[in-house]
Amino acid sequence: MFNDLADFAVKYALKKGADYSEARLESTTSNRFILKNGIAEASGFDKINGLGIRIIKNKTLGFTSTNNLDKEKIKKLIQNTINTTEKASKLREEINLSEENSYKDKYEVKQKINLNDIGPEEKIKLLFDAEKELINTKIKIPSRYLSLSDSTTIEYLTNSEGTNILATVPRVSFFYLLTVEHDGKTSQRIWQYGQSGGFEFVKKWDIPSIVVNEVRALQNNLKFGVKPPKQALDIVAAPQVVGIMVHESGGHPYEADRIIGREGAQAGESFITKEMLGTRIGNKVVNVVDDPLLENSYGFYKYDNEGVKARRKYLIKEGIINEFLQNRKTAYYMGLKSNGSSRSVNYDRESIVRMSNTFMLPGDYTEEELIKDVKLGIYMKNFMEWNIDDKRINQKYVGAESYLIKNGEIKEPVIRPVIEITTPQLYEAIDAVATNMEYHAGSCGKGEPMQAIPVWFGGPSIRLRKIRLGN
Amino acid sequence: MEPEEISSHILNKLLKAGADDVIVSVSKQESSQIKFSNNLINATKTWENIDLGVFMALKKKIVLTNIKELSLSAADDVVNKLLKFVKSASPNKEYAGIAKGPFSYKEVENGYDKKIASLGDNSIDYVEKAINKALESGAKRTAGVFENSLTNVSLLTSNDVKTSDKGTHSYFSIRAFNNKFASGQKTGFSRIINLLDVEKLAEEAALISKQSLNPEHGKFGKFDVVFETLPFANIIDNFGGAMSAFSVETGLSCLKNMIGKQVANKKITVIDDGTLKNGFNSSKFDAEGAPTQRNIMVDNGILKTYLHNTSTAKRFNTKTTANAGLLSPEPTNLIVKKGNFSKQELFEQVKNGLYITNVWYTRFQNYNTGDFSTIPRDGIFMIKNGKIGQPIKGVRITENILNLLKNTVALGNKPERVIGWEVETPIITPAVLVKDVNITRPVD
Repeated sequence: MFNDLADFAVKYALKKGADYSEARLESTTSNRFILKNGIAEASGFDKINGLGIRIIKNKTLGFTSTNNLDKEKIKKLIQNTINTTEKASKLREEINLSEENSYKDKYEVKQKINLNDIGPEEKIKLLFDAEKELINTKIKIPSRYLSLSDSTTIEYLTNSEGTNILATVPRVSFFYLLTVEHDGKTSQRIWQYGQSGGFEFVKKWDIPSIVVNEVRALQNNLKFGVKPPKQALDIVAAPQVVGIMVHESGGHPYEADRIIGREGAQAGESFITKEMLGTRIGNKVVNVVDDPLLENSYGFYKYDNEGVKARRKYLIKEGIINEFLQNRKTAYYMGLKSNGSSRSVNYDRESIVRMSNTFMLPGDYTEEELIKDVKLGIYMKNFMEWNIDDKRINQKYVGAESYLIKNGEIKEPVIRPVIEITTPQLYEAIDAVATNMEYHAGSCGKGEPMQAIPVWFGGPSIRLRKIRLGN
Repeated sequence: MEPEEISSHILNKLLKAGADDVIVSVSKQESSQIKFSNNLINATKTWENIDLGVFMALKKKIVLTNIKELSLSAADDVVNKLLKFVKSASPNKEYAGIAKGPFSYKEVENGYDKKIASLGDNSIDYVEKAINKALESGAKRTAGVFENSLTNVSLLTSNDVKTSDKGTHSYFSIRAFNNKFASGQKTGFSRIINLLDVEKLAEEAALISKQSLNPEHGKFGKFDVVFETLPFANIIDNFGGAMSAFSVETGLSCLKNMIGKQVANKKITVIDDGTLKNGFNSSKFDAEGAPTQRNIMVDNGILKTYLHNTSTAKRFNTKTTANAGLLSPEPTNLIVKKGNFSKQELFEQVKNGLYITNVWYTRFQNYNTGDFSTIPRDGIFMIKNGKIGQPIKGVRITENILNLLKNTVALGNKPERVIGWEVETPIITPAVLVKDVNITRPVD
């Protein structure tokens, strides 16, 4: 690492007239292994070393980055950025940052089994083991794509207000795409596992069981699935489904930069306005939080990329819109303090308002109790296709592994039940929340250029009353 | 040390250590972006990046690396790690080599513009003009980006390829709002800045935003839909992804076993052209060094070929289409051949339908079958008896991509150049008319 270069950049920018400067130095090493239809497609490793600098001059924001870690080059880039902010100041959005404490700290996500102690051979063997188990099921699986990745990021963040944070975060992830065929029909699932920490989590996941369970469920659905009923019914949505629902319609619309309009041309805006804080969006059993501090989570951090201490944010509290995700700029604009939601995926991206680990808090019931109280319904264990409009109102989730519920009992599989619903309808229809928490990993997309950032989304099982399924 | 010297240093060391095939690429990029929203510049951004990419095949074991560092010591580290890595890698029995040179290359026409290379903070003036134009044309708010870049790529392979290319790129995206529920978006690109009319794009986005005021909730059912260029480009981008031989092998394609078969209406011809004049992704060579080509992918509705690199082509008993992607062949610039109808004439063919100006969040339920849905955003309008009428909101297209392309019955005569937040491949397409599109919406 070249921490002194980041320190130098911050000081040099001030010397050249910046009112605020911030530098983020990143060093990431990563490995990836791909097994396609039983064949080792490729292995690879990548390395990133680079510096990103944010400057505010005359309330104008400039960002520059380079992976040429040379002092003279950095000086030139800073000077250019100062000049550009001067020219842009005629048309600039006024940038003010909320006042925050500055921290000097160092933290590291510990690894029980260090990623570097496991050779490529052992990593790819895990995928081969999974492949073998898939073949042993005798299920027709025409396409099998498995990929295992790990990375270690060391980042040093410093700014002109005295922040110095050194963070080391290793991450592991497993991705699969499986196509199952039965009687000429196919069904597919794409899913991902991800955590921060060492190789112990990859072992704990038990990749062969994950994929075998998946193909068995897909085949069972293709073989025995019935069409979903047409009348209004109840839905018990399991943690995977709740996780994506909460991420899409309980997390994204609470991003303050979307509410203000900064993402307008990209991921869009939000149906939520500042004036809606304190108003009801759903049933009082609904509590949605975003929490970067969950240990070994995929979206883990202790300080955000502006050096603000991370904390749990209650986005929806007992059905009421409670808090937005803020960075220092949006917080100042709304007359608040930042709640530590500023993230950038790499050194060469500006930090923007992001989720970390977004989930619904558990309630008082067991999942069995939710099911027991349903006369006619659907148990939706997981999903395939989903999407939501760019204001976060109109959303759709298509069930993958799903079953009929009749008189409180889970019965035969159901083919592709579709929940097509608005956000207020969804959160108002939740009448009971279970205790069975699960977290799932994903890459959340936002920003331009795109910043696909690691997050967890999750929750317990929930029950939705009187839903009419879509087509 | 110059990039070429570092490349040959790596190549020679790997060959000496027993590698069968080696590709070393060095890409240097300087780029800038002006990001704006609410009619104001949010941030100015600049990037300087160097990427060193190495591909190595040794006894059919494939290892790839990408590092953002260019020095002799970094090169030696890469070589050592590659050789260590390859020892424990497993062979890819399906691997079938890389393109064999030497080749002669043709420069991309209109691929480089001195004005973009030296644009600097003059880009701010373009943004200012575009915002002003949108406001003059009836928008209340605007958001978008203006990006410019200069890229130099050098490529060296163990199969007699030693070449380089330089290019400039300019991309503009603007979304104009009249209020939260009345907006329009346009995007455009060019390799030559004078050929990119940011003010025209701004004006068009503003006009859509103005027309889409006071939308009503849309209805579900089957509708004839006139797709504007931006939403049709989104669909063609997904169709292009399905054309890659890699997608076919991994289950990410609805085009498996479809060569020679009807995959779209006979009025549809789609060309992948890596040589296209002023094409955003045009270049002299692909990632293996094969000279880029113009490939007819779909000819009057019939699928002619998949997109290939050398290795996938051998597996499919054909020749590379020069679309490497070292693992996955990728489209370059996709062109939908224009038709004969003016936009007005497309509208006139619709009795009761919709005019859709943008879509987003296209997601597949099953890539293998092509079942997907996507959500119209920005101006969506009813068409009644050939005339654009009431704006609507809150609907979704729930379709099958092959079905949608088979129902594409008329093509416009004015192609536009589209790239964007969700359209990663540059697409050149006219507006089109699609019959019987399935529209769904949340149940009341």
